[in-house]
Amino acid sequence: MTHNDAARRALEAFEREHSGWSLNTLKHWALAIVLIVFFAGSWQLAQVDLARLASGLPKLWFWLSQAWPPKLDELPVFLLRTGETIAMAAIGTAAATLLAIPMAILASRNITPFPKLYYPVRWFLNALRGVDSFVFALLFVASVGLGPFAGVLGIALHTWGSAAKFIADYVENANLGPLHAVQTTGASRPVAISYALLPDVLPATLSTTLYLFEFNVRASTVLGVVGAGGIGHELKNSMDLLDFPRLATILIIILIVVTAIDQLAGWLRKRLVGP
Amino acid sequence: MTRGAPATLEVRGVHKQYGGKSVLSSLSFDVARGEFLALLGPSGAGKTTLVRCIAGLTVPERGEIRLDGVNVLELKGRERRRIAVVFQQFNLVPRLSALQNVLAGRLGHVPSWRGVLRRFTRKDQLLALECLDRVGLIDRARQRADTLSGGQQQRVAIARALAQQPDVIVADEPIASLDPQSSAGILELLRDISRNDGVALVCSLHQLEFARAYADRIAGMTAGAVVVDVPAGQFDDSVATRIYGLGLASAQA
Repeated sequence: MTHNDAARRALEAFEREHSGWSLNTLKHWALAIVLIVFFAGSWQLAQVDLARLASGLPKLWFWLSQAWPPKLDELPVFLLRTGETIAMAAIGTAAATLLAIPMAILASRNITPFPKLYYPVRWFLNALRGVDSFVFALLFVASVGLGPFAGVLGIALHTWGSAAKFIADYVENANLGPLHAVQTTGASRPVAISYALLPDVLPATLSTTLYLFEFNVRASTVLGVVGAGGIGHELKNSMDLLDFPRLATILIIILIVVTAIDQLAGWLRKRLVGP
Repeated sequence: MTRGAPATLEVRGVHKQYGGKSVLSSLSFDVARGEFLALLGPSGAGKTTLVRCIAGLTVPERGEIRLDGVNVLELKGRERRRIAVVFQQFNLVPRLSALQNVLAGRLGHVPSWRGVLRRFTRKDQLLALECLDRVGLIDRARQRADTLSGGQQQRVAIARALAQQPDVIVADEPIASLDPQSSAGILELLRDISRNDGVALVCSLHQLEFARAYADRIAGMTAGAVVVDVPAGQFDDSVATRIYGLGLASAQA
């Protein structure tokens, strides 16, 4: 049999399989219908109403026109509050990372000393990640009282889960060849991990921490809304008083600070993960 | 597969530097259609760089690489299809089937929309299946590439090169990641393709014995230049010593 005949026979066999209503075509159509129904339902549930958007936009435009010029007389207070926001993010992220390192080791299937704890630890971390800083802050405002400390606790708990998961994923994807090689030299397991694995995952871990810090600065601008301190507190006051120039000033400050921190952290991260 | 008059791949005075260090220095050789040229030489001799230059993945600073008198360094886009490449790490698209990987060889022949939608004509599908049959894997046509063994993946990669209907195949250590048995199969396949389809084959290798057994000619490289260029039968231990130094000849004896 020539190659030509074999090819023709194979192709004809594929074509027979594909002719008519095969299971695959049916599956594709079913999937398309499910997607259409899902998005149609979501459109209803989310009460998307383009007419309301059309009538609301002029109102927003009117507010914006009222917001100029910004009010600078309260600038020192705003800067102090912004400082609070950054401080909350910094302490929350740092605490979370320190707490995350032991959890990350327990949550890495390949190096955990207690494999039985692997799933419970992963579930615990998922639970932490599943609850937003905002929601944690809400709970802490009720228990430790108003102010930035509640925000720090909220950020720390949520970020603990995220940081540990990221680090654990790096460790699980790391090449264990060097670790095994170092172990065969007679090094104990903890020594081998710190010697062979740490240099591998440390840059990525630090880079992740910086990213989480950036993220938390952005996230903690709204923590003030629930009374957990920072610039968000002033933001909410302005909205309640319909004081748009004040609101605009705060938004501009947030924008500048967040951009500056993103740039700085981005630059640092590039230097960390570079060769 | 019909071919025109026999033509030659001519490499003339190719010079390539990396960071001020010459990797290839005024390197020249010819390969005729239907001829299997093995490139031998120690690691760092510039074999991979040379293969990448012929494949168009790197541009040398000086020199010419001509195919039928056309400077291939000036070929762009689909003109490149005349030179097919076989890689050490196979470089199949892991999530596509063996057949779809072979059909990639047709991308230089078909309109772009066919490539994007992965909708090929019946003729191209037949050709791809023929190529798969030639490498002995027609029954794996619809298996995902990353579920095939190393030797099978390299066979699919060769079928992809075949589907390209090239005039030249360059292979960069195609058997370096394979066991000896698969290696022999791959080299046999490459030799048959070069003979039956009149393809000029340039193949860098690390194993002297394989080069002697399968190649028509052996070019020995040291420090970026071809220092030996002889028919495979004349490549004896004294010649090997000239490219590898004394250590190897005594180790092989």
